[in-house]
Amino acid sequence: MMTLPKLEDLSDPDFNPFEIEKLSTGHCPDPYPRIHELMQQGSVVTGSYRDEFTEIKDVQRDGVPQVMVLGYDAVMHVLTHPEIFTNREAFMPSLGQAFGESVSVMDAPDHTRYRKIFQKAFLPQVVSKWGETVVDPVVNSLMDVFIHTGKADLVDQFTHHYPFQVIYAQLELEPEQAPVFHKLAIAQLLSAIGAPQGAEATKKLGVFFGQLLKLRRENPGTDLVSHLATVEADGERLPDIVLISFLRQLMNAGGDTTFRGTSALLLGLLTHTDQLDAVRADRSLIPQAIDEALRWEGPVSSTYRYAICDTEIDGVTIPKGTFINLVLASANRDPRKFANPDSFDIFRERKFRSAAFASGPHLCIGQHLAKVEMTRALNALLDKLPNMRLDPDMPPPQMIGHILRAPEHLWIKFDS
Amino acid sequence: MMQWMCMDCGYAYDPAKGDPMGDIPPGTAWEDLPEDWKCPDCGSPKSEFELIEM
Repeated sequence: MMTLPKLEDLSDPDFNPFEIEKLSTGHCPDPYPRIHELMQQGSVVTGSYRDEFTEIKDVQRDGVPQVMVLGYDAVMHVLTHPEIFTNREAFMPSLGQAFGESVSVMDAPDHTRYRKIFQKAFLPQVVSKWGETVVDPVVNSLMDVFIHTGKADLVDQFTHHYPFQVIYAQLELEPEQAPVFHKLAIAQLLSAIGAPQGAEATKKLGVFFGQLLKLRRENPGTDLVSHLATVEADGERLPDIVLISFLRQLMNAGGDTTFRGTSALLLGLLTHTDQLDAVRADRSLIPQAIDEALRWEGPVSSTYRYAICDTEIDGVTIPKGTFINLVLASANRDPRKFANPDSFDIFRERKFRSAAFASGPHLCIGQHLAKVEMTRALNALLDKLPNMRLDPDMPPPQMIGHILRAPEHLWIKFDS
Repeated sequence: MMQWMCMDCGYAYDPAKGDPMGDIPPGTAWEDLPEDWKCPDCGSPKSEFELIEM
C-alpha cells in the first residue's frame, strides 16, 4: 500500500477559516436592488463592487483605481476581448498570491497552451464517466446518513460536502485528511484580508501537492493527479509549478462554486414548488433548471480584468492601467436581456447565454463536471426523498453573501 | 454519435439544434458554418474543433 504525504495543519489548529471567510464578506442577503441601481448609472461606475457591501478592505487591491463594469453587453465585451482586458495583472495580487501560477493568472500564449491541456482532462466525454464512478458513491453515502429520518438540512448535510468529497475521491486522498484539506483550501483565500493564515495555507498545500505529484509520477494510478501529470496536448505536458497551482485552486474553483450552485438550484426549486413538481415529473428539464439557477444566483458575482491599453467601454474612456471589476451578477440580471430578471423561472425564453461560467478564453474549465455533479445530485434527491419539500417548522432559506452566495441552511422534510 | 467539439472548452456543436442564440438556425451543417465562426462559449476559431465520438 502506497503511503501518501501528510498534509500539515495550520500552526493554530483552532483557527476557523470558514467563519473568518464568512465575516470578511459581510452579511448581505440581497445585493440585487443595489446592482440594479448601479446599472441605472451606466455601464461603467467608479469604485469596487466589494466596497458597496462591506467596509472590510481587500488589502490586495486597496487604493488601486478601479471601475465596476455593469450590464450584459459591457461585461461580455470585456470577457471576450482578452487582448485588451488581461488576467495576469488583474489577478497576480490576489489569486496569484493564493494559488501561484494557475491558468487564472495567465494570458495568451501561455494560457492558451496550458488551458488546452487541463481542458482535455475535463471535456464532457471524460467527466461524464466520473458521474457513475465518483459522484454517485459520494452522493449516496451522504444521503444514507439522513435518508431514514424524514428531514435534513441539505446545506449542512449535503451540498456543503459533496463537491469537496468528489474532489477527494478524484485525487484518491485519505479520507482522514479531508477536514484539514478543506480548511487549508478555504484559508488560502484569506490573504485578501491580510490574514497570515492565507500564506501559510498556500505554502503547506504547495508542499503537499509537490510530494503527491512526485509520488503519482513514480507510481501512476487512475486518480486525477496521475492523469494531469501525464496528459498531453500538442505533444506538451504541464510543468509542475502550473499543475501544483491548479491543484491548489481546484478546491475553491471546483468545490466551493459547485456547493453554492447546487444550493441555489435546490433553493430555487424548493421555493417554487410548481417548477419542482415539473422537474420531478420530467427530468429532461434538469439542464434548463441548472442554467436558470446559475443565472439567477450565480455562485460568483464579480471578477476582475486589467486594461493594458487605453480603451473604451460603452463610450466611456478607460485609461491604461485601470482595474476592471466585472459584476457578473449584473449581466445575469440585466432586464434588457432577461425578462423579469429577478424571478426564478426554468421555463423562461433563452435568447442569451448567462455569464455564470464567464465567457471567452477564461470560461470555467470545470463547467461540464459541475453540471454532471448537479444533475446527479438533483436526480438522487428527487428519487430517494419522496415529496421533498421545505420544512414548515424551520426558518425559510435565504441566500447570503455579495460575492460568493449560498444559503446557510436548507431545511427540508420528506416522506420516509 | 460523432459531434464537433471545441477542444478549448468542450462546447459541442449540434447541427440539428444549430446555435439560435448566435443566429445559427437549426439544421445548419458544420461545413456550412462561416469560416470566421467562433465557439460561442470561449471564442476559439473553427480550427480548434475536432470530430469526437460522444
